[in-house]
Amino acid sequence: MNEREEIADGVRRIVAEVLDEPVGALDENPILAAHEWDSLASLEALAQLESEFAVTLDLRSFHAARTVDDMVDLVAQSRPAPTR
Amino acid sequence: MTAAEQAVALAADELDLWSGVREAVRAGRYPDPRVRARLVRERDPVLLRRVGRLLDRPGLTGDELRPIRVGVLAPFTVGPFTDLLRASLVAAGLAPALRVADYGSFDLALATGEFGVGDPELVVLLLDESVFLPDRWSAADVDDFTGQVQRRLADFCAAVSSGAAGTTASLVLHTVPLPAEVRDTFLAWRDRAAVTALWHRLNATLLELSHKHPQVLTVDLVGALADTPSAVRDDRLHRYGDLPYTDAALARLAHEVRRAAQARAGLSRKVLALDLDNTLWGGVLGEVGVEGIALGGLYPGNAYRQLQLAAQRLREQGVILVLTSKNDAATVTDALTGHPEVLLRPDAFSYTAVNWSSKAENLREAATHLGLSTGSVVFLDDSPFERGQVAGALPEVAVLPADGDPARLVRTLLEPGWFDTLELTETDRRRPQMYRGRADRSTFSAGFDSSHAYLRALDIQLTVEPANRYTVARIAQLAARTNQFNLTGVRFDQAETSAMAADDGHLVASCSVVDRFGDEGIVGALWVRRGDPTWEVLNLVLSCRVLGRGVELAIAGWLVRQARAAGARAVEGRYVPTTKNGAARDFWTTSGFAAVTGERFRLDLDGTEDPTPDWITTKEQ
Repeated sequence: MNEREEIADGVRRIVAEVLDEPVGALDENPILAAHEWDSLASLEALAQLESEFAVTLDLRSFHAARTVDDMVDLVAQSRPAPTR
Repeated sequence: MTAAEQAVALAADELDLWSGVREAVRAGRYPDPRVRARLVRERDPVLLRRVGRLLDRPGLTGDELRPIRVGVLAPFTVGPFTDLLRASLVAAGLAPALRVADYGSFDLALATGEFGVGDPELVVLLLDESVFLPDRWSAADVDDFTGQVQRRLADFCAAVSSGAAGTTASLVLHTVPLPAEVRDTFLAWRDRAAVTALWHRLNATLLELSHKHPQVLTVDLVGALADTPSAVRDDRLHRYGDLPYTDAALARLAHEVRRAAQARAGLSRKVLALDLDNTLWGGVLGEVGVEGIALGGLYPGNAYRQLQLAAQRLREQGVILVLTSKNDAATVTDALTGHPEVLLRPDAFSYTAVNWSSKAENLREAATHLGLSTGSVVFLDDSPFERGQVAGALPEVAVLPADGDPARLVRTLLEPGWFDTLELTETDRRRPQMYRGRADRSTFSAGFDSSHAYLRALDIQLTVEPANRYTVARIAQLAARTNQFNLTGVRFDQAETSAMAADDGHLVASCSVVDRFGDEGIVGALWVRRGDPTWEVLNLVLSCRVLGRGVELAIAGWLVRQARAAGARAVEGRYVPTTKNGAARDFWTTSGFAAVTGERFRLDLDGTEDPTPDWITTKEQ
């Protein structure tokens, strides 16, 4: 699994958990607003994503994300460069 | 998962909290005591929040949970707090019905004393600095700031007082951290110090409300947060979502509110049952002797002494101490009486069970003797085997792990708050004296009265192999050190052991044990003369660490099979009583041997006898 797929998997799992829906429901309709994506749910997802991937997300970009894919992009861009 | 498997997983710290709760909720039930015990230990706010949400199902059943109606009010977004609080309350054995007052109703509720959350038994008032900070303030005028904060504090206290007067519910509030952004706005050192001091007095006033109104319980959130390794505030969540506290801070608050709710519900525990070796002191008394135990002085001895001190302080507040140890009773009495660093002398314990019975059995007997239920017992032990055995047989006992770094022992004991009580009564202070008529159950018993289901769930594997040059030193060490399960007291040294191992007429074997809790290594050894037609056991020793699991019977089984395969007609052995080996007294008869004389026992190999218990697999090498 490449890095992006790993991130995509983690993001889908966390968003689905927060929405209390199966991952499949997100695959069917990846538009976040189509689910119960209210401010409380989104902030819970924010906290979980930041903790899971050890990143800090920009709240404005986070709110601009419309789909699960946008969210994956955001996390991928925010990843700290691997240290050697 | 069976109850026994669950108990083993809990003791091994491998119980999956999420799936345990999910299974229970799917079946329409609250999680059982073992899953709840796991939940008490959970500190991850993400998981606690998810579990709390999962438990938000109407109509869950669970007989042993105490229902409690809880209302929550906050001048900000309550957010995850309700889920975190629900998880914490269920963990403590409470079945909460939670109601949150409408957003924005906080001021009105305080003004009118009407909380708008039905008829609660417990009202949690969440607070942040906004309750006390003036709407407009200037850091250039610290006196005006102080005056305004004091007025708002006075208004708040008056509101709490009238609220308390209008309800029978307990009101839980908490101390409030002064945000850095307020403190740092004051540029002058003197002014900043004045503001910080003001805030400390504010928190002290909140704490003192408990004095005026016994219904008010103030949790010291500020103090608790100092022990929480995460940020208290995420500015983004605060500005965007009106969430002044992070999930980690709210989880900590939920934990503290749980302690208050538990004390209010009368669920305070009354008994602390303590193990000895590697719990009240470092090291195994039976192996290192009273001079060898770690107690007092430098680390790690000081950690054990601090634990004794903590237990002593609990006792002064009415907690009854019970001693439960698999040990030789006389040696323990010597150590407790004679060791200069021991704080808990024999008379500190209202019930003493130094014996080889299962700990669950001892705790049950202790509770009966004290006239209390096993549900009022907290049990502290370093051995996962003992903890699992108790968790399996007596799930209502609160089991605490004493393994890991001894430096943490006092925290492990006190942090869950099992003994918290709203008020210390005269009865509490006198309770240990009332039980001064001390009971002693330190009789010898070699039986294993753990449930077979539990022993089966341990997946015990015994390996018996002939001594070789890598194991002979450990075998000789066991012979030298083992006093309790030592059949004849004969201690073959390394030279004798090596010589016997090399001789066809003898057999020396080492026994090692692996189970779900890990690899115990070589824990036993036997020395046998291979006579014709009778094999004679010269000695068999087994570390007391593995007693009570039937390992000795599996060793006997192995020996019988070896002898039979070699064509022997009988196996004979001896039990020679010493001052300390009562643990091994019944070994031969339990293994199916018959007494020939007082000391000699014999098994004729004419049948297919095999004493190996069905929960042990033996690997032969």
